[in-house]
Amino acid sequence: MSILTGPMRFHLDGQKELTAHKAVLKLPEPDDLYIPLVNGRAACTPTVKEGDEVKVGQKIGEPSDGFWFVPIFSPVSGTVVGIEKRMTTMLKPGDHLHIRNDHKYSAVRAFKSLDYENASREELLEFVKNAGMAGLGGAGFPTFNKYTKPDGIDLFIINAVECEPYLTADYANSMANPELMREGALALLKLSGAPKGKIAVKEDKKDLIEVLHKQFDGTPIEVAEVEDIYPAGWERTLIYMLTGKRYDRLPAEAGCILNNVSTCIALGNALKNGMPITEKYLTVSGDGVQNPQNVIVPIGTPAAEVVKACGGYVGEDCLLIAGGPMMGRTIPNDQFVVGLANNGLTVLQHREEFSVKCLRCGKCTETCPSGLMPVRINMAEKAKDIDTLKKLSIMDCIECGLCTYICPSKLDVTEGIRRAKRYMTLVK
Amino acid sequence: MKLTFNPSPNYRNEQSTVSIMKDVLLCLLAVDLYAVIYYCAAYGAQYGLRVVLMTLTACVSALLTDVIYYKVLKKDVIKEVKSSFSLITALIIVLISRISTAYYAIVVATVIAIFFGKLVFGGFGQNIFNPAAFGAAIIMGNFAGSYSADFATSATPTMAAKSLGWMITSGEFSSFISSYGGLGRMFLGQYASTIGSPCALLILLCGAYLIWNRDIDWQTPVFYIGTVFVEALIIGLMHGAGIEYALFSVLAGGVIFGGVFMATDPVTTPVSLPGRILWAVGCASLTLIIRDKSNLSDGVLFAILLMNMLTPAIDKLFDGNQIKDADKFKRNVLIGSACSIALTLLVGTSVKSASEKASAVSESETPAETGGAPAASANFGEALPMSYNFNANKASCEIDGTEGDVIRYSCKAKGFGLVTNADGDYQMNEAMVVVNKAEGKVTSMNVITFGETGGVGDAATSDEALAQFEGKGLDDEVNLVTGATFTTRSFASMAQAALKAAAEGE
Ligand code: SF4
Ligand code: SF4
Repeated sequence: MSILTGPMRFHLDGQKELTAHKAVLKLPEPDDLYIPLVNGRAACTPTVKEGDEVKVGQKIGEPSDGFWFVPIFSPVSGTVVGIEKRMTTMLKPGDHLHIRNDHKYSAVRAFKSLDYENASREELLEFVKNAGMAGLGGAGFPTFNKYTKPDGIDLFIINAVECEPYLTADYANSMANPELMREGALALLKLSGAPKGKIAVKEDKKDLIEVLHKQFDGTPIEVAEVEDIYPAGWERTLIYMLTGKRYDRLPAEAGCILNNVSTCIALGNALKNGMPITEKYLTVSGDGVQNPQNVIVPIGTPAAEVVKACGGYVGEDCLLIAGGPMMGRTIPNDQFVVGLANNGLTVLQHREEFSVKCLRCGKCTETCPSGLMPVRINMAEKAKDIDTLKKLSIMDCIECGLCTYICPSKLDVTEGIRRAKRYMTLVK
Repeated sequence: MKLTFNPSPNYRNEQSTVSIMKDVLLCLLAVDLYAVIYYCAAYGAQYGLRVVLMTLTACVSALLTDVIYYKVLKKDVIKEVKSSFSLITALIIVLISRISTAYYAIVVATVIAIFFGKLVFGGFGQNIFNPAAFGAAIIMGNFAGSYSADFATSATPTMAAKSLGWMITSGEFSSFISSYGGLGRMFLGQYASTIGSPCALLILLCGAYLIWNRDIDWQTPVFYIGTVFVEALIIGLMHGAGIEYALFSVLAGGVIFGGVFMATDPVTTPVSLPGRILWAVGCASLTLIIRDKSNLSDGVLFAILLMNMLTPAIDKLFDGNQIKDADKFKRNVLIGSACSIALTLLVGTSVKSASEKASAVSESETPAETGGAPAASANFGEALPMSYNFNANKASCEIDGTEGDVIRYSCKAKGFGLVTNADGDYQMNEAMVVVNKAEGKVTSMNVITFGETGGVGDAATSDEALAQFEGKGLDDEVNLVTGATFTTRSFASMAQAALKAAAEGE
């Protein structure tokens, strides 16, 4: 931060106390599950067909794409009913594999567990790939991809920051599974080839910090406390806070490689127990739901079931958000299902904002973590001034939402940037 | 139960434009309240009441302008007025006016500010000029008679400094500042100036409060006030003035008020921080250039208005990505600031202090001999009716001798009000006024004692300046001498007193 730029971040009220210290509810498994046949960007081809019996942990789909390679596994045992189209969290219809739950929970071992310490790097990488590990922080990027050719990495970072307001799923998951986290983290450290690692956690989560120290003291992974600001969990901001470095395209340019803490836990589980990701820690929170709390749900559970299990909606007009309120999308229909990359459902009562004209206060510019000037972008977009838009490097916007959050005039600033992006792609 | 779609994010900070404007309004009210108390205490209740009435006048005019405009446009009046924030403009107009400003001038300024300064641009957020500065500048330029003489106070520090060419050297400083009770009293706001300007301490506290609440950024006021200080310090050093001159330059006039309440108006200043810093430095420089070179006594308002015009250009200069273009931004700020500071200092070299002027006069071959005071030649400005209300000058006359219809009066009147004698009273100007009773005209006017600091107002004691009273009656006019208006009034008040005395046959 310099006097010329402003802080490029903001401390916002995380609303974490709504759920952080409540008991985690294990959801009764629903009768019908709909497993999304797409992970990340590549579609999966089902490896089972209508009428097949499946068991917990059995592989049911595999992508043809070698890059976006994330195989999927059945979260329950039961019968395959067929492929159905449902709305996804991307607000588009997508294929889902419908499985009818037989509530018997007969399981298979999805794959053999692996002792990462004695395994070779290649074996370990292959394991990560086949276990369907993906970035669980939101993007769903296949984990193995980051580690195929790590070069000149000197810091491995585990992101346990969870800066999105309302969400405490990573926190609850870490508190419940510290050994698995340790296992997965050390395995990824080995893959990265980095001499040391850091696990980043917000300084106000004292109990978690204590747990982390217990797990990691004596390993090359150091516990790094970071300030409670948004977006501390975003790669660029986190790397800047930990190393003081900025980079152009990939974290590797700053010598860093980064993974989410729940990915570490999932990998730990895969290494130790030979099980893929079949269920998720999910935060259900907000003033639009009766009992805000963390839940454990199998992948493929419709959102409606989850909300029902938490006491249902409060109020007549709600916003149902897949994820947290900053980066999560509102979905006007609660039939979408919990997927690999979901970590929360935020339900907020919908209130109209009293918005006034842009004050030109520049707060959006001062807080934008990407160093953009949202107010100038919105002005240029309205004027359809393509040259200025080019200068404003709008494609660097990560849609973190901070500009809308901070805007005192209550304008939809982020949405204006999305519009500008669309306009740019259209004109180009 | 209904699920609604709304683009992300769906989380908002508590702070709103409405809450920001409320905070600013609160601060302005505090300054206004201080003015009411100060004027009550220093000049009497009717002065305090006048501040209250001026405030109400401005607020009502502002609201009515809004309401009528939006009614005519058939908009939702309540909603529009709520998001127009015109009361702020109204209060600023009152606070940058002097106590003597006529009510009708306040109304005109407010209506112009709100209507032409804001609404015709498309309302709040769209205006180019700071509306309050816009309205005030219009009445200052065009409504010369807009001051009500019944409420005159002595000269404000900026006017006094202006008449000295905005340069007061260390030697002259203590006698100059004594009439304002010293810098300390100026800081605490115990002197007459524009209604809102005097209490620097209170305004700075307001600024701190607004910055703390993130209602305004700290860069603009700090760079604005800081640049004024640094530039005045350097210019002062070039002419043998000390740090007290720089402090005076900051405390006098609208620098602090403008820096906290007007330069921080986000609508009319650049949106980026580097842009704001450059804007503030430029605005400070213009403030000093206008003080030094124009015939306005203070430069704050016009500096703000001129810089408002540059806002779009400055915004363009800093378009880019704050991380990737950081070096470019830094360069632009440095080069821009350096240029504007250099220009100000260049202008500053040509400023002359009173003693420098005096020595320039004595070196020249034409020493003036007018009643003993060294006189510069006079430039005549606005007309001044002899029937003007000169109460503030407290003129008095005594008969000195009579020859038929011709009566010689020895008169006294308050002048510029800068110099005090040992008892702490104002040193009066004294003049011999000869009046022809039958004609009701002044025959001649001569200075006996010129009670003001050398260099201040002496243009009004030149032969030319005094000669203009000859043959003038109560219905005639004389002209104010440019740069010495207070002294001209002082002498005119004596002429008037003498004429009145003659008419009453004393
Ligand atoms: S949404 Fe985009 S423009 Fe707005 S603050 Fe985040 S990165 Fe910056
Ligand atoms: S935060 Fe909102 S009001 Fe302020 S400049 Fe940005 S868009 Fe305008």
